[in-house]
Amino acid sequence: MSTSEVVRSRLLAREGGEEVYELFIGPQHPSSGHMRFIVRLDGDVIVSVDPDIGYVHRTMEKLAEGREAVKAIPLLERMTIIDSHNVTIGLVRAMEKLLDVEPPPRARYLRTLLSEINRIASHLYGIGIAGIMLNHSTMFMWAFGDREVWLQLAEELSGARLTHTYSIPGGVRRDLPQGFADRAEKAVRYMTRRLEEYAKIFLENPQVRSRYEGVGVLKRGEASRLGIVGPNLRASGVKYDARLAEDYAAYSEVSFEVPTLEEGDAYARMRLRIEEIKQSMSIILQVLRKVPEGPIFAEKYLKLLPPKLREQVLSTGRVKLPALFASMKLPAGEAVARAEMGHGEIFYHLISDGSAKPYRLRVVTPSFRNVILFRYLMPGHRFMDFPAIYGSLDYFPPEADR
Amino acid sequence: MMGMGLLEWVLELLLSPQVFAPVVFPGLVTALVVLLTIIWAERKIAARVQMRVGPLYVTRRFGGVLQMLADGTRYMFQEFIIPETSDKGFFVFAPVLALAAAILPFAFIPAAPGFAPVKHPLAALGVLASLSAAPLAVLLMGWSSGNKFAIQGAVREAFMTLAYEAVVFLSVLAMGMLYGTLDLEEAVYRQVIPGLLLNPISAFTFFVGMVMSAGRLPFDIVEGEQEIVAGPYVEYSGIVFGIGMGLAYLKLYAFSLLFSILYLSGWEPLLPLYSVYPPLGGLMLFVKAYAVMLFVAFLRSVYGRYRLDQALRAGWRIFLPLALASVMFSAFVKVVAYG
Repeated sequence: MSTSEVVRSRLLAREGGEEVYELFIGPQHPSSGHMRFIVRLDGDVIVSVDPDIGYVHRTMEKLAEGREAVKAIPLLERMTIIDSHNVTIGLVRAMEKLLDVEPPPRARYLRTLLSEINRIASHLYGIGIAGIMLNHSTMFMWAFGDREVWLQLAEELSGARLTHTYSIPGGVRRDLPQGFADRAEKAVRYMTRRLEEYAKIFLENPQVRSRYEGVGVLKRGEASRLGIVGPNLRASGVKYDARLAEDYAAYSEVSFEVPTLEEGDAYARMRLRIEEIKQSMSIILQVLRKVPEGPIFAEKYLKLLPPKLREQVLSTGRVKLPALFASMKLPAGEAVARAEMGHGEIFYHLISDGSAKPYRLRVVTPSFRNVILFRYLMPGHRFMDFPAIYGSLDYFPPEADR
Repeated sequence: MMGMGLLEWVLELLLSPQVFAPVVFPGLVTALVVLLTIIWAERKIAARVQMRVGPLYVTRRFGGVLQMLADGTRYMFQEFIIPETSDKGFFVFAPVLALAAAILPFAFIPAAPGFAPVKHPLAALGVLASLSAAPLAVLLMGWSSGNKFAIQGAVREAFMTLAYEAVVFLSVLAMGMLYGTLDLEEAVYRQVIPGLLLNPISAFTFFVGMVMSAGRLPFDIVEGEQEIVAGPYVEYSGIVFGIGMGLAYLKLYAFSLLFSILYLSGWEPLLPLYSVYPPLGGLMLFVKAYAVMLFVAFLRSVYGRYRLDQALRAGWRIFLPLALASVMFSAFVKVVAYG
C-alpha cells in the first residue's frame, strides 16, 4: 500500500463507481454553515450526503467543568447565541434541582416571557436563512429585519440583545421594565400583520411551494426512530414538546397549543415554524396579563445579601450578584433537566461532587440530534434540493458542535 | 483645405451608423452605462421592498448611483489569478469570447430608422444567433476552470440553453411570420398596434426565454450561489469576474432592445429629435428597453430560484408548446387581419 493511500481518510474514500461526482460543500461555501458536507452525485441526483461536523467545536462541556457553576451560564449561551435564554434555562433548572431552590412565581413568568421572545427570534432567523438558501432575498431581509423587534424587546428586558444571562439559579436577573407590556403588545400586533405578508411573498408563493412541497419528506416512524426533536419532529406528526413533557417556567399555567402537521416535508417544517410563532405570541400576551406581583429572586438567596444590597435589589428590580454567589458550592449529586429551544429539546445532565465547579456537565443539543437528517433526507433528491432541505431543517452548526 | 476635409471625414466616420451604433448607442458605451445603472437600480428596488436603503455611501447625494463604478474600479485593481489546475489558454480566452458574443448583437439592432450598422433582411436571426453563441463561451469558461463547481455550472448552462433557445427562436419566428419579415427595422414599421397586443402568447414566451437566458431570478440557476457558489465564474477574479457578472446584464440589455423592437413598436412614436441626428430618435426605444429591464430586475424581490429540473420541464413542456401555439396564432392573425 502506498503512502498516499494510507493518508487518504475514510471520509475521502469513494462510494460507488466512476460515475459518482463528489462535491465538498464547505467549510468555506456560501451556504454550508460552519461545517462541511461531502455530497456524492449521480448526474443531478444525490447519492449520499456526509455531514462532517466539528468545525466549531469549542469544548463547551469541558470549559464548564473548569469554572464555578454560575459562570457556565454565560459560557453555554454561546452555543446558540440566537436563542440564548432557551439554551441555558435547562442548565439553570438542573442547578436549581441540585441546590434545592425554586424561583418565585414572578420569576417563572418572566422566564417564560423571555423564552418565547427568544423562540420567535430563533424561528425568524431560521426562516430567513431558509429564504436565502432558495435565493429569496426578500424573505431573508424581512425575517432578519423583523427579528430586530424581538431583540429590542429582549434587550429591554434583560439588558443584552443576544447574551441575556437572564435566568440565574433562584430567579431572574431583572424585573419587568415600565411600559414593557405596551411595547410587547405593539410588537405582537406588528408581527401578526407581518406573518400575513410572509405568507404572501414566501409560503404561498408558487415558486417557493414548488421548491418545498414533497421535498425531504420525513415519515412519522422514521422521525421517532432517529430521535429527531423540535419543529422537525412535530412537522412529521409527533406531538412532543419539552414544554409539555417537563414542567418548567410557567408553561403549566398558560394555555397554548403545540402545533403539529402530518406531511413531514420541507413545506410542513416551514409552516410549522410560522404556527409556533403565533403560539409564542399568544403565550407572551397571556404572561403579560397574568404575571403575578412579588420578588424575582428566591427568598433563600435574598436573605444572604447584605442589607444595603438587598434593599437595592428590591427597589431597582435588578439583581446584583455578590462574590459569594459565584463561589457557591453545588451539593453533591446528579440532576437532569430539559427545555424546549427554538430548534428542539435540549438536555442537560449535571453531576456535582460537592465543590463549586461541576464535576461533569453533559449537554445534548437539538441540532446535534437533528444532524442525522442530512444523511437520511437528502439521497434521491436533486442537488438543488440540498439548500432547500438544509434551510427547512433550521440546523445550527455551532449548537451541534458545542 | 486639406485639414478641414480630414476632420469632417473623421467626424462623419464617427457619426456613421457603422461606428456610432456599435460603439456609442445602443452599443458599448450605452451598454456600460446600462450595466452600471441597472445593477444599481436592481439593488435599490430590492432594498425598497426589503426595508433597507441599498447602495448609498458612494455619491450619497445621488443615492449611491456610482456604487457600481466603485466596485468596477476595485475589480480593476484586484489580482487576476489563473489557477494551476485550469486549462490556462482557454481560461483566459473564454471570457473574451463571451464578451465578444454578448456585444455582437448590437451590430444588427437598429437604434432608429435607417440607423443600423448592418442592415440585413435576417437581422432578428443575427441577433439571436450571436446571443446564443455566448453560452458556448460560458461553457468553455466552466470547463477550462478545472473546478468541480464550475463544471456543474457549465453543465447547467448547457441544459438551460437547450431549454430556452428553442422557445426564444420560435417566439421570434411567430413575430416574423406576422410581420412578414425578419428585418428589425421593417418589423417596427409593420406594427400597426404593438406586437404585444398582436400576439401576446409570443410576447410572454419570449419574455420568459429572455429571463432564462439572462439568468435572472427566478432562473438564476447557472450561478446558483447556494449550491455551486458562482457556477462557471467561480475561479475568475478581478475584472474578468466582473465581466462574467456583467455578461448576464449585457444579454438582458440586448434581449430587452429586441423585445422593445418586436413587441413594443420600437422607437415609435418617433421623436422630432430624429431630424437633428438619427440616433436621438432612438431614445424612445432605449426608454422602453430600460423599462423592460427594470421589470426583470424587480422579479428578484419577488421570487426565489427554481430547481434545474423544474426549469427544464417548464421550458420543454410548457413554454415550447406555448411558443408553437404562438406560431399558430400568428398564422391565424395573419390570415384574418392581413389576409
